[in-house]
Amino acid sequence: MTKRGTRLFFLGGTLAATLVLLVLTVDSHRQFPRLTHAERITPAVVAGKHVWHRKNCVNCHTLMGEGAYYAPDLTKITEQRGVPYLQAFLKDPSKFYSEARDRRLMPNLQLSSQEIDEVIAFLGWVAKIDNQGWPPRPLLVSGAAVPGSNVGGSVPHAVSTDPAEQGEALFRTTPPGCFACHSVAPGVNLAGPSLAGLGRRAGETVRNAGYQGKATDAAGYIRESILHPSAHLVAGPSYSADGRSFMPDNFSTLLTDEQVDHLVAYLATLP
Amino acid sequence: MRYRSQAVAYPYFAVALLLFGLQIAFGLLAAVKYLGPDPLINLLPFDRVKAIHTNLLIVWVLTGFMGAAYHVVPEESGTELWSPRLAYIALGLWVLMGLTAVIGYVFGWTEGNKLLEQPYPLKLLIVVVMLMFLANLLLTIRRAGRWTTTEAVLVAGLILTALLYLPALLTFDNYTVSIFYRWWTVHLWVEGVWEMVQGALLAYLLIRLSGVDREVLEKWLYVIVGLTFISGILGMAHHYYFVGVPHYWLPIGGFFSALEPLVFLGMAMYAYFAMRRSGLSHPNTLAVHWAIGSAIFSALGAGLLGLAHTWPAVNKWTHGTLITAMHGHAAFFGAYVMIVLAMITYAVPGLTSREETTLERPLGLWAFWLMVGGMFGMTLAFATAGIGQVYLERITGLGFLETQRKIQVHFLMLTGTGLLFALGVALYLWDFFVVSPRLARTGAPRSATAAP
Repeated sequence: MTKRGTRLFFLGGTLAATLVLLVLTVDSHRQFPRLTHAERITPAVVAGKHVWHRKNCVNCHTLMGEGAYYAPDLTKITEQRGVPYLQAFLKDPSKFYSEARDRRLMPNLQLSSQEIDEVIAFLGWVAKIDNQGWPPRPLLVSGAAVPGSNVGGSVPHAVSTDPAEQGEALFRTTPPGCFACHSVAPGVNLAGPSLAGLGRRAGETVRNAGYQGKATDAAGYIRESILHPSAHLVAGPSYSADGRSFMPDNFSTLLTDEQVDHLVAYLATLP
Repeated sequence: MRYRSQAVAYPYFAVALLLFGLQIAFGLLAAVKYLGPDPLINLLPFDRVKAIHTNLLIVWVLTGFMGAAYHVVPEESGTELWSPRLAYIALGLWVLMGLTAVIGYVFGWTEGNKLLEQPYPLKLLIVVVMLMFLANLLLTIRRAGRWTTTEAVLVAGLILTALLYLPALLTFDNYTVSIFYRWWTVHLWVEGVWEMVQGALLAYLLIRLSGVDREVLEKWLYVIVGLTFISGILGMAHHYYFVGVPHYWLPIGGFFSALEPLVFLGMAMYAYFAMRRSGLSHPNTLAVHWAIGSAIFSALGAGLLGLAHTWPAVNKWTHGTLITAMHGHAAFFGAYVMIVLAMITYAVPGLTSREETTLERPLGLWAFWLMVGGMFGMTLAFATAGIGQVYLERITGLGFLETQRKIQVHFLMLTGTGLLFALGVALYLWDFFVVSPRLARTGAPRSATAAP
């Protein structure tokens, strides 16, 4: 090839690639409103985006995998944590995580309540963006979605007199070892189904015509599921066979009535 | 140095190197924060340190590019620079911008947009300095009435660098659209027009260091920049994975960014054949090290390590992990840090009026190998940390915090190899600021040539 030829290769190739980029850019703009649910970009979401930028969040966290790798990805955080949790966390992160244990901690950004609500609104909008199904499995801030790998630090057995908190401690204790088969993260189905949003779903289940058990309300259904796992089966070949659940049915002897109450109280509150 | 006004390059190189030193100090601080706990958490948290680290990199590499252009353009066009005074004023404004940005970041004055954190008034100042810089180059070329291919590619790359900064001035309410155009600046810089600059500077250096035929080298320069844009423009799609853009960007990104290593392979072959054909008998062996090193290290860092996680099916798991930091560090060092240091190393003897073979060579070689070895170690540290993170967090589903605790040992390795790298940088700065000026005073000066 002559120098003239290689110059033509450079100019032609660059021009062609640029043209394709421009055409695809126009088409992308056509699709952005649908893919990002642009109609949900409220003033609060826009204000939250400004908070996100102003506070330099992207230089520790990632959002849709973009940013810095020092702190957890926040793409789906609003699906994993409720608004009250996030509000309390952003007010004072040091109440939730220990720098001594985790080696790093989020500084208190001194956000106003309004700024907190705005940035949560922004993150709630981001969580709904159609981003090709990423992440392929939920990214947890802390904890484990794997049976037997509860390395998230020991949970004290009696954290308080609050039944739900006692239930959470029990959930992570062996026995009964609930955590070994159930994740509380959305969409993480291990040996047993994810328990995320159980309180809400349990209410729907008992009202459903296909419900086979005897419970009449959400709490009753959760209690029934613990003590009589086969009373109503969750669909799925890895969960049951021949009308019998794969879940152990000995919890009525393993746990006291009070402990079952605590578990029910905890599970009913899962976001 | 054939033209007196090429001396403008010297203060640019000095500023670039000072900012380089500062960048590495903040980089070490960031690495230590990975080890934690962080006593500075409320004074200077990670986000500010990281923004300063990356911004200083961009600013000093650009300063190096400008210094290099002021050195190359008069020589290639065969004339004095249009206005050295304008170049000094531009440098003053540029330093003002850079220092204001760094101090601003320390106190939280930021736009918080990754790599484009510069507050709006500073962005405008950047545009002004770039216009002054380009005007100076273009008026020089116009006055000379002639230019070479190498020079044209260099200047075109710099003009496009300025043009592609303009999308950074836009803001959008839709975060996905912001991301879409942010990459027009960031990606098309580092995987597009900056490669033009790197290719042109490499050609300039190879022509002088190896004495290879200019026609042959410039012919291949077109092939390299052609490949850069054919692969790089649509290869931008690999930044569009999973951010809310149409799904067809996935296969496009996979295909075109898989072609990107060809560019770096091309540059490595380029350097190899230049070396084979003409031998490397040039007395400035240090400059030869940096130039050939840039061609080889960028093939590894930008080429191979980019390819390692660019397929959508792989990137689905590595997206947003330390794997990206592995690629980023090796790529920037190989392609841009090394080429700027090659230019500085080549130009300094002329700029300080002394012979090219002088006693400080062992010092320079120590700086070279410590930096190359340190960066290789840092790349391995990020790679092993990233692989651990992908496996533990993404595959097995362990929480982020637990995963980070389990990969602590790699952050120790990162800090250790980072210290080696920093030592190399310190030696380079020592050589430039202390040893070279002393040699210039005591050594036998070459006859400083005035303008013909």
